[in-house]
Amino acid sequence: MAKNLPIVPTAKPGSMAETPAGSTWREKRPVLMNCTCLEVTLYCPDGALSIVEGKVSLDLNLCKGCGICANECKDGGIQMVPEYTGAQGVFPVKGEE
Amino acid sequence: MTLRIEDLPKEELFGQGNGGCKACGAAIAGRQAMKVLGERTIITIPASCMATLGGNNQKTAWKIPFYHTLFEMAPAVSSGIRAALEIQGVNDVNVVSWGGDAGSADIGFQALTGAAERNEHMIHVCYDNEMYMNTGGQQSSQTPLYALTSNDHIGKPVKKKNMLAIMEAHGLDYVASASIAYPFDLMEKFQNALANPGFSYIHILAPCYRGWQIPGEKTIEFARLAVESGLWELFEVKKGVRTRTHEPSLIPVADYLLPQGRFKNISKKAVEEIQTSITKYYGRGDK
Ligand SMILES: Cc1ncc(C[n+]2csc(CCOP(=O)(O)OP(=O)(O)O)c2C)c(N)n1
Ligand code: SF4
Ligand code: SF4
Ligand SMILES: [Mg+2]
Repeated sequence: MAKNLPIVPTAKPGSMAETPAGSTWREKRPVLMNCTCLEVTLYCPDGALSIVEGKVSLDLNLCKGCGICANECKDGGIQMVPEYTGAQGVFPVKGEE
Repeated sequence: MTLRIEDLPKEELFGQGNGGCKACGAAIAGRQAMKVLGERTIITIPASCMATLGGNNQKTAWKIPFYHTLFEMAPAVSSGIRAALEIQGVNDVNVVSWGGDAGSADIGFQALTGAAERNEHMIHVCYDNEMYMNTGGQQSSQTPLYALTSNDHIGKPVKKKNMLAIMEAHGLDYVASASIAYPFDLMEKFQNALANPGFSYIHILAPCYRGWQIPGEKTIEFARLAVESGLWELFEVKKGVRTRTHEPSLIPVADYLLPQGRFKNISKKAVEEIQTSITKYYGRGDK
């Protein structure tokens, strides 16, 4: 009984993640260099960071570019870079493939 | 009992695509808590940022049942949900009400104190950003002394009401403070609350960068400074036994207070007074 709890009767569970508006507000985006502190995944407000095969992985679709992860990564392994810089284009990022 | 990051479920039961501001401390608290509460949880949230950022009837950021209640009544609605589950013989569901500081300590207080007195089998969480953020950052009973809010240009003239002491005074078997900067401490407290068959209260300090006037990327950093300066003590009271769960390093309170825009009117004397009382409280001073 009550195996599947009704979420919101008229909304699909987790449906906001399908069209995340927040990523369009982003002014900066994180670039994972060599982040080894898995705890940063617990500080992301948007669930954009996860652990995949023991490493931190980023889903940019969900990221609002808040910069918390870069601020909290102990070994400086996450760097925030400007999302766009007008006529100059996007800055190249050291170490990014 | 000690949690490790490897043991946490990978599934994101709340948070992805949420409609909150970037860097929202409330959303961080929700994500951390859901790692322990799990999918067999029903949550009620009164009017607040946390209710709004979780979506509406068309789209939701939740993968568990979430009910957006009227402001005054989340713990009462959760009491009813527990009663309905009990009468149906469903025993494996965690019932949670989750209010802001206004939804817990001010406008929502009567429903909270009632549910606590009845020792309902549920957890109430107060996520505390120390003001009424969803309506533009007005002063609440949880706003600290001297902090500026949108309806006050001088700074709060009275102290923050001690909600943890009030909830402790209900004689509950589990009461705890927590901080989003100490996720494992927070999650272990949720485990302890789940083990309590009665009413549990968890009060989480969850900074709002907009209201506190700090850079968004420093949301966690300020949550940590609040604890390390001694201003936000991490503790739990289990069956009347009080334990401090993190021993702060007692950095100067000025390091926490002065960089925040909301404390821009604070005087040097006021900072010294706060420092003296904190030093005395932790018993590390001369007096
Ligand atoms: C009875 C009632 N009064 C006022 C409001 C307007 N209102 C909606 S959210 C809110 C503030 C909520 O503050 P808090 O509980 O601290 O949560 P926060 O938004 O700060 O996260 C107010 C006053 C309301 N919805 N219902
Ligand atoms: S910048 Fe903010 S939203 Fe983006 S991954 Fe880092 S913590 Fe998450
Ligand atoms: S105003 Fe503050 S609490 Fe509300 S969604 Fe924005 S960051 Fe979160
Ligand atoms: Mg609030």
